[in-house]
Amino acid sequence: MFLDSLAMIALAYIFGFLYYGLYRNISARVHGRFGPSLAQSFFDSIKLFLKENSTNFGWMFYAGPIIMMIGAITTLLFIPYLNGSEHLVGLSQYGNLILVLYLMVLEPLGNAMGIGSNGNPFGVMGITRGLTRLIGLELPFYIAAIGLMIANHSADIGVIMTNQSEGYNAFTHPLLFIGAFISFLGFMGKSPFDVVGAPQEVYSGPATEFSGKFFAIALSQSAIFSFAKLLLMVNLFLGGAQSLVELVAKTFVLFLVAVLVGNVYARFTTAQSVEFLVRVPTGIALVGLLFV
Amino acid sequence: MPENTQEGFIDQQKVLDNEEYSIKNTQSIIQKAVDWFRARSMFVLAYGTGCGAIEMPPIFTSRYDIERLGVVGVATPRQADILIVSGYCSYKTLKRVIRSYEQMNEPKYVIGLGSCTINGGMYWDSYNTIKKLDEYLPVDMYINGCMPRPEALIEGFVKLQDNIRNAKSEAGYIQYRENNAFYRANQEKIFGKNTTPTFEENFAGMNQ
Amino acid sequence: MIEFLKKHYEIVEKAPRLYKLQIESDKLVEILSSVSINSNFITLSQIACTDWIEDEVFALNYILTTKERDKNLMVEVRISRVHCSLPTLLNLYPQAQVMERDLHEMYGINFRGNDTLYDFALENWNEIPPLRREFDTLAYVNEHFDFRIGREDNKDVKAEVKRRKAQAKESKDGK
Ligand code: SF4
Repeated sequence: MFLDSLAMIALAYIFGFLYYGLYRNISARVHGRFGPSLAQSFFDSIKLFLKENSTNFGWMFYAGPIIMMIGAITTLLFIPYLNGSEHLVGLSQYGNLILVLYLMVLEPLGNAMGIGSNGNPFGVMGITRGLTRLIGLELPFYIAAIGLMIANHSADIGVIMTNQSEGYNAFTHPLLFIGAFISFLGFMGKSPFDVVGAPQEVYSGPATEFSGKFFAIALSQSAIFSFAKLLLMVNLFLGGAQSLVELVAKTFVLFLVAVLVGNVYARFTTAQSVEFLVRVPTGIALVGLLFV
Repeated sequence: MPENTQEGFIDQQKVLDNEEYSIKNTQSIIQKAVDWFRARSMFVLAYGTGCGAIEMPPIFTSRYDIERLGVVGVATPRQADILIVSGYCSYKTLKRVIRSYEQMNEPKYVIGLGSCTINGGMYWDSYNTIKKLDEYLPVDMYINGCMPRPEALIEGFVKLQDNIRNAKSEAGYIQYRENNAFYRANQEKIFGKNTTPTFEENFAGMNQ
Repeated sequence: MIEFLKKHYEIVEKAPRLYKLQIESDKLVEILSSVSINSNFITLSQIACTDWIEDEVFALNYILTTKERDKNLMVEVRISRVHCSLPTLLNLYPQAQVMERDLHEMYGINFRGNDTLYDFALENWNEIPPLRREFDTLAYVNEHFDFRIGREDNKDVKAEVKRRKAQAKESKDGK
């Protein structure tokens, strides 16, 4: 199981960074540029690991990125990669959807803890925005998850995944899917919901004070975490995957939609995004819940 | 070689450009890999001090697209590797530039953009702008021109990457650390007592 | 509007839509407040200062603009270069704060009642204010900075440019 978990983390790390490289490439193409090489994010993170760290804000500050990393990894370990396979399952037989939803909140909380102890105003602004937005993001996602749990009479991700052999949940429960998908776009942190690190407003947002190795940890955790979120969406709504190739194809489609949406839409303000998230996707998901 | 004349200056330049005379540090394989990664990924803190700053934004646009070389802009000195000082520096600006530079984490490099950073440029007789940036900060790459085109800036980046990758010259931050007294003295000459805190003062603050 | 002002003050028309009024420095606040109440020259767009070192005076031009931005009125005050001091206009025009601070820094003029006259763009400046004409910029620069080698070719190129232009013209005419 240990090797299994390690493989899961490594795969998520690789795919997360590849997807991030793809994100930069695709947005470059949208802008009419060539964009960096696909592995650019790898280079960035390795270079950051090689940089020295000259700031000191006490241990709480350093604990922040580490807690974020733990949050990302534990979330990942409780989500099975493949449908009905014995490999790449991690700890998923011991946990369920509720635990995963709970662990997903660990990342912003760890972030808040790190930022709170450095006192950088932009970081505090960014994290305040992030936590406000989180309210809006969680509502539709929770409702969609509850809907799925009711429909499947189970909170086990594996069961939800295997029950989709007749038809994907995305088609049998379309309203739940739309609600959860909009919320997922927000979780990916791309526009129109990128209020947290909005460069024109709060500079780097929560990452303002992170430097060197800790910034590298924050980057890696965001790569792992985005892959975990993609995985969760695929498992819940797109029927999981029988093989790694299928998994890559499905996550890539989801990812592509997120990137393209992010490139087309301008940023909401914090208040607007919360209002939008509470109204539209939550409403859709609630109606979907009635149909379940 | 006559040193203090135009001809002498040009001769010196030729020597520097010559492959035979350029410094070649021996790199171990690990060091080579490390340098390769450092050259491949550069985070830029663009400090728009003077009019030359207007030539910096275009390099990020579709036409010049510096991102393909691995160069991206960041908003905070904590994450930056490269500080671009674009143009003339008045005393007041220079103080902020030095503060930003000292907040950056090693390894860090400085690019001086425009004639003003090299010898004062068209502000050579101004009472309030510095004439040689490298007296106050270690400059790794000068790009001359008033103002330099974005292409020149890109070439500067490429050359700097080459320097880093092959360890062609001693990086500026090492000089800044080792000859700190020299730079401090020059800074204090124009700022008087109101200079930025020294390394010792910085460390004293850290332990509290 | 301008007719009303013309009735009370000696206003000279310098150019179309540009008027000038010369006053004593002790009547500055009084006259400017009456102008801003009785006419529509309501904005102070800048304070320009000229150093007439030969006459031992600073000439300050308060440039007022109408609400419609179509006419300008220059109110000129002349003060001695030695004890240069003027009342502040902060109460009339809040934007005067920055302008006065700038003038104080560049010319050393004291504005009574403006308590923000500390360092502005020049930090730690210990010499005489740099825009006064007795300040020798070149001497200051030569004393405080050493130049990089290569600056010596900074020669007067006017004669050379003239010669080349003449040459080009000749060759053109020759063809
Ligand atoms: S070199 Fe020229 S463009 Fe650049 S700051 Fe100086 S005067 Fe401006």
